Amino acid sequence: MIENVVREGAGNVDLPAGLQDVSVGQVRRAFKDVVRSARLWHIWVRLGLQDVRHKFRRSTVGPAWIFLNLGVLIAAIGVIYGRLLGQDLHEYIPYLTAGLVIWQYLTSSISEGAHAFVNSEGYIKQISLPIYVYIFRCLVNVGVTGAISFSVFVIVALAYQVPIGMGTLWVVPGLLALIACTLCLICILAHLHARFRDIAPMAAVAMQMAFYVTPIIFRAEALRGPNLWWVVDLNPLYHLVEIVRRPLVAAQPAAPVSYVAAAASLAVLAAMAAGIIAYYRRRIVFAL
Amino acid sequence: MARILLQNVDLEFRVDALKHDTFRSAFVRFVGRRTSRTIKTLQSISLRIESGERVGLIGHNGAGKTTLLKVFAGIYPPQRGVVLTEGHVCPLFEVVTGFEWDASGWENIRTRALLLGMSPREIDRRIESIGEFSNLGEFLDIPVRHYSQGMHLRLAFATSAAVDPEILLLDEVMAAGDVSFMESARRRMNTLMERASIVVFATHSLDMLPRFCERTILLRHGSIVADGPTEDVVKLYTEAASEAPGAFAENAAAPAQP
Repeated sequence: MIENVVREGAGNVDLPAGLQDVSVGQVRRAFKDVVRSARLWHIWVRLGLQDVRHKFRRSTVGPAWIFLNLGVLIAAIGVIYGRLLGQDLHEYIPYLTAGLVIWQYLTSSISEGAHAFVNSEGYIKQISLPIYVYIFRCLVNVGVTGAISFSVFVIVALAYQVPIGMGTLWVVPGLLALIACTLCLICILAHLHARFRDIAPMAAVAMQMAFYVTPIIFRAEALRGPNLWWVVDLNPLYHLVEIVRRPLVAAQPAAPVSYVAAAASLAVLAAMAAGIIAYYRRRIVFAL
Repeated sequence: MARILLQNVDLEFRVDALKHDTFRSAFVRFVGRRTSRTIKTLQSISLRIESGERVGLIGHNGAGKTTLLKVFAGIYPPQRGVVLTEGHVCPLFEVVTGFEWDASGWENIRTRALLLGMSPREIDRRIESIGEFSNLGEFLDIPVRHYSQGMHLRLAFATSAAVDPEILLLDEVMAAGDVSFMESARRRMNTLMERASIVVFATHSLDMLPRFCERTILLRHGSIVADGPTEDVVKLYTEAASEAPGAFAENAAAPAQP
């Protein structure tokens, strides 16, 4: 079995017959590595779950912190902003909860994603697994945490009798698109942050700012006036949140434009990820 | 069939990259005032190791022994040249990295074994004997952050030694063990070396070398100085070192402005 073949612009080489063809382009080689990484699922699932467990290992309440965190946020924001914005709490609380859960998933995939390679440095430098194993590891970690916090929404939805119907199934394509986007984001940020250590704090600042312009606490309609409509409609994060949130809280698909925007975001992110992979793939180990 | 084949391999480290690039330095480079230095860690290395060979790697600190092993393992992709490795590689490098500090010894064994290519079922079957070989007893139940360095070594070695590798890459792992562990490790290494088709062993213990390896490669400044029967190469090395103490001693780093 050929475990590792590197061929890079070498001239006079007497490679064994049949091995000359192995020199494929960087993107294709990277793609093969991604597939190889995905096949090693038992490794990254284990590492990712381990990460989730360790987040709370030495804490007394453990994963309950996820619930506490969200619970406090929802109670505080729900009561104050519900009043400020003149919202009906029966609709507002589920809307807010869904938005917060999705947003926290996005934020943590960005902040943890940036550290995907840095945190796995010990493994990367010792064992030659394709590095995307550590990207998937991060996705498992973030995804499982997100799934736990999603149960908060389920509780809220039951308490406030959120409508459930066939329309709720629209959450599936929405969720898939969201996960695909975060996978690309993790990949991009992990590569960049391994090289430029300013990326993670920069991304954190950006996300904090984005929280205040993205309709999570308030409703999109509130900004859809003549002057500020673009803040909402040109914000890809809004559309990514919307394609998951709308089916959850209203049992109906999001606006078609949101699906178009999400697909466009995914295409852009995937292209960026592919470019960064092709360029940085072989340099990561040197940057750590 | 296991095989390692290297052709004209060059490996460079950018010092900047090691210091973690900032936007500022990237910008500065972009503008044209070059601040990065390249360290040529390996220079036009060509070699061929076939099935059945046991190869020693010697040379002074910084000669490139570990780097070369990491190239064999596929961890460092070289900037130029061809690396071809056939066969399942089991690396046994600096063991202090690659632990999950908050996880218990058992969990770490599981994780390491998975990463080294063991299947979950195989791990279930062998985890008991790995734990036993590590001789850590009830310490295996506590997080490894409380372990001593020697205990880390035991854990790492016991796990790696349980993998059936075709290519075994060893990097002076025996340094931190106590006497009893050294003895059992040496015995285990003998069996490992017998089972693996290729063993590459980077070491400073020249007296141990002839017992393990019939072939030895001498590195200096990232280049191969000598490659041949162990006795001859070791002799060359010790003679050169005694005649001109500085000859091999300085760092491999031959910095060059890019």
